[in-house]
Amino acid sequence: MQYDQSRIRNFCIIAHIDHGKSTLADRILELTGVMKQREMTDQVLDSMELERERGITIKSKAVRMPYTARDGKEYELNLIDTPGHVDFTYEVSRALAACEGAVLVVDASQGIEAQTLANVYMAVEHDLEIRPVINKIDLPSAQPEVVKTEIEDEIGIDCEGCPLVSAKQGIGIEDVLEDIVAHVPAPDDPLDAPLQALIFDSYYDNYRGAISSVRLKAGRVKVGDRIRMMAGKCEFEVTEVGAYLPLGYSPREELCAGEVGYIAASIKDIADIHVGDTITLADNPAPEPLPGYKPVLPMVYCGIYPADGADYETLRDALEKLRLNDAALSYEPETSVALGYGFRCGFLGLLHMEIIQQRLEREFDLDLVTTAPSVVYKVIKTDGTTVFIDNPTNLPPVQEIDWMEEPCVDAQVIAPQDYVGAIMELCQDKRGTFKDMNYIDGGRVVLKYDLPLNEVIYDFFDQLKSRTRGYASFDYELKGYVRSDLVKLDMLLNGEQCDALSIIVHRDRAYPRGRSIAEKLKEAIPRQLFEIPIQAAIGGKVIARETVKALRKDVLAKCYGGDISRKKKLLEKQKEGKKRMRQVGTVAVPSEAFMAVLKMD
Amino acid sequence: MVPISLYFHIPFCAAKCAYCDFASYPNREGEWARYFHALWAELESWKGALAGYEAVTLFFGGGTPTLVDAGYIAETVGRARALLPFAGDVEITMEGNPGTLAPDKLEACRRAGVNRLSLGAQSFDDGLLRSLGRIHTARQIGEAVALAREAGFVNLNLDLMYALPGQDMEKWRDTLERAVALGVEHLSAYSLIVEEGTPMAARVASGEAVVPGDDAVNAMQREAVARLAAAGYGRYEISNYARPGFECRHNRVYWERGEYLGLGCAAHSLFGGCRFANPDGLEAYLAGGRREGFQRLGRRDAMEETLMLSTRMTRGLDLAGWRRAFGEDFARGREDALARLEKAGYAEVRDGFFRLTARGLEVQNAVVVELMEE
Repeated sequence: MQYDQSRIRNFCIIAHIDHGKSTLADRILELTGVMKQREMTDQVLDSMELERERGITIKSKAVRMPYTARDGKEYELNLIDTPGHVDFTYEVSRALAACEGAVLVVDASQGIEAQTLANVYMAVEHDLEIRPVINKIDLPSAQPEVVKTEIEDEIGIDCEGCPLVSAKQGIGIEDVLEDIVAHVPAPDDPLDAPLQALIFDSYYDNYRGAISSVRLKAGRVKVGDRIRMMAGKCEFEVTEVGAYLPLGYSPREELCAGEVGYIAASIKDIADIHVGDTITLADNPAPEPLPGYKPVLPMVYCGIYPADGADYETLRDALEKLRLNDAALSYEPETSVALGYGFRCGFLGLLHMEIIQQRLEREFDLDLVTTAPSVVYKVIKTDGTTVFIDNPTNLPPVQEIDWMEEPCVDAQVIAPQDYVGAIMELCQDKRGTFKDMNYIDGGRVVLKYDLPLNEVIYDFFDQLKSRTRGYASFDYELKGYVRSDLVKLDMLLNGEQCDALSIIVHRDRAYPRGRSIAEKLKEAIPRQLFEIPIQAAIGGKVIARETVKALRKDVLAKCYGGDISRKKKLLEKQKEGKKRMRQVGTVAVPSEAFMAVLKMD
Repeated sequence: MVPISLYFHIPFCAAKCAYCDFASYPNREGEWARYFHALWAELESWKGALAGYEAVTLFFGGGTPTLVDAGYIAETVGRARALLPFAGDVEITMEGNPGTLAPDKLEACRRAGVNRLSLGAQSFDDGLLRSLGRIHTARQIGEAVALAREAGFVNLNLDLMYALPGQDMEKWRDTLERAVALGVEHLSAYSLIVEEGTPMAARVASGEAVVPGDDAVNAMQREAVARLAAAGYGRYEISNYARPGFECRHNRVYWERGEYLGLGCAAHSLFGGCRFANPDGLEAYLAGGRREGFQRLGRRDAMEETLMLSTRMTRGLDLAGWRRAFGEDFARGREDALARLEKAGYAEVRDGFFRLTARGLEVQNAVVVELMEE
């Protein structure tokens, strides 16, 4: 097909979870013929096992599809799939910046739900043409007319003639494509200007190296060009450009303004590709990069240890492999008295952390022990120097600390107004500072708070979901550091401090947290021969105490005749079980105990 | 002469009990003869190996040895005696079910040399006996003891069980009282072990049967120690009590790691520094299966076995014996663990023995694991 911007449509699909986004994407791929039906596994775009299972998209993806419309002309449709979680807000914003339109999928029986709105606001922010699609019209409970009115009233988008579809049954899919062709604006990017390619994703290919997914906003790029990463400051020679097809790459001679595709340049380290950065040509650079770039910094850290010390190497290799595809993941070796050798890992947020943990466990068959997540604290020492601490264990002694600061975020919660009270209560509980509240259309409210990040990572999200029955959407952005009265909370088992259980916490939170952790440890540590005092302490002062009572009964009544093999086996098993536990002083602590501490009430 | 013990497994019973997962088969009268011939052949096969040995104890276990014709037992004892000399004070025990005794049977066994009878009484509560699937009543236990006395047995044991579903302290106390009242020389009190695959395990899994909790079980066990001590029975092993001089010598051989040969199906042996066992199943044994799972014990195995077996006995682990056997002190490398155990009241060192206290015996597994080498 000849290059013609007027025939290009770049769009994404946005939806509340379970409203059928991935299924609709699959049907579109099928209809445009880039995927034969027999090649389809369910939800092609969510290629990671985890993505399919959890129904969330973790990485952005782009697919190019040729489509001959009813007007007889051939169009080039680029579908960009976006991640769907607050941890990846920035990645989503870059993916949206690569589009001109968004297909808004709404379930015909569920109507508008929490995420629908959050997604719409984000799309509006990026000036996208929003095209509503009513899905699941085949369900008996479908009420397309009611939902249409709801969309018109609450979001203010005209639903006149919007496609009514059943992605599952394959009904109305062509209407969606026609609607896109008719209403999503074609890109209008200058071809003759210096190259500006927006990186909206990156990943690693064994043969091509680290690859950038891009949307060209100006100019053109071809094999052999010398490119420059404007924020990353490094240069590479292009080895391949092209478009993505669902089953692989489709190399092209060049990519032009308005198009979506990939650029490969034998880049060894994915860290050289920054999502949001602008690629330009080294010998004819753009005067300035595209707006909106932010360096991605890990917000949350935790220690990840192999449950079996012998798996250390496997864990290192696994992290290295995941890191190839995930520039936001960072890791460094660390050691813990209680847990041995492991890694301090940095993540975008809690979901990112959880995903990495799960992938390590599933894809690499590792048993892990994870320490409590921590943010990065700023410590101003009495000698005037400043240190950043991402592991409570490394906190300098109290007498060397002048004061401490903690990261704070600008948080925004959007929810139906009925939940305002519940949300305010939660934000107060989480040491939030109220900033602003606005009523928006559809009886919804935007609440703005300053929140300490360490409260956000400690069950804020779960609490918000349960207190608003899932109707609130939450978004945050790092604001900076604020001075705070922080203390290190240590856990002592039989008088011995367990480094892997220490956390940094606000003084006002120390008592309840200490109590709660002590209680959880009591549940998680099995009875042993000796009574185990569990203490929570701040700077040597005990603030909470629990006791694991001594084992009551553990004996085999009978040696069966001369058969001592059962008893031998039993003891062998007990010995093995003990070996698998972590030794903290004289106390054997099962791996689960370290995880139990992470769990909220 | 080197002492050795012989164990004969008699894998036949009148009915399978609800908790039993031993090799034991009801309704196999037709195979008794075949089985005993195989048993005798196996015994014969040890002839050469037993040169220089002297039998100090024999034990007929089951199953229910009192179920089969006394002639089989007498013949077995006779064949053993023909094979190797018996010590002058040889102890020959036969296990039995109170529901399977008859005067002539007992007298025949007694005449053949059996001098100790161990009866599976289990409980003196008829309801519990029924729920356990026992074929006898409480009353038959008393009758069985009287029969045994008439047949001339002066060394009797009753096996009792506690920690049974539906058993409370009152029932247990009653069982202890009535066992003591029968004036037997030896009592075993076993806490029920719910074995996988038994009807009992299914009942517990379905919630139909509820096993008493740890505290209740400990209390029953302590009750046994106290009540039996008051009646003159000293506790000499986790589950065994005897009047002075009536400790079961055969069982002590197991706990003290003396040599023993197990004959018949599912029988285990410790012989020549090796452990091995015959196949569990009757069919496999009749088909000629012998001496499986052969394991030569190394120094470390011997140490662990000594630790786990000797600490079952109230006498404890012989420190001088340990030094002789392994060339080092028992305390070596265990200093911290021993100090902690003693301090917490689980164990003590006295008169050259390391022994567990009554409280220590309640958690013997954990104590042993604590003392095992890494």
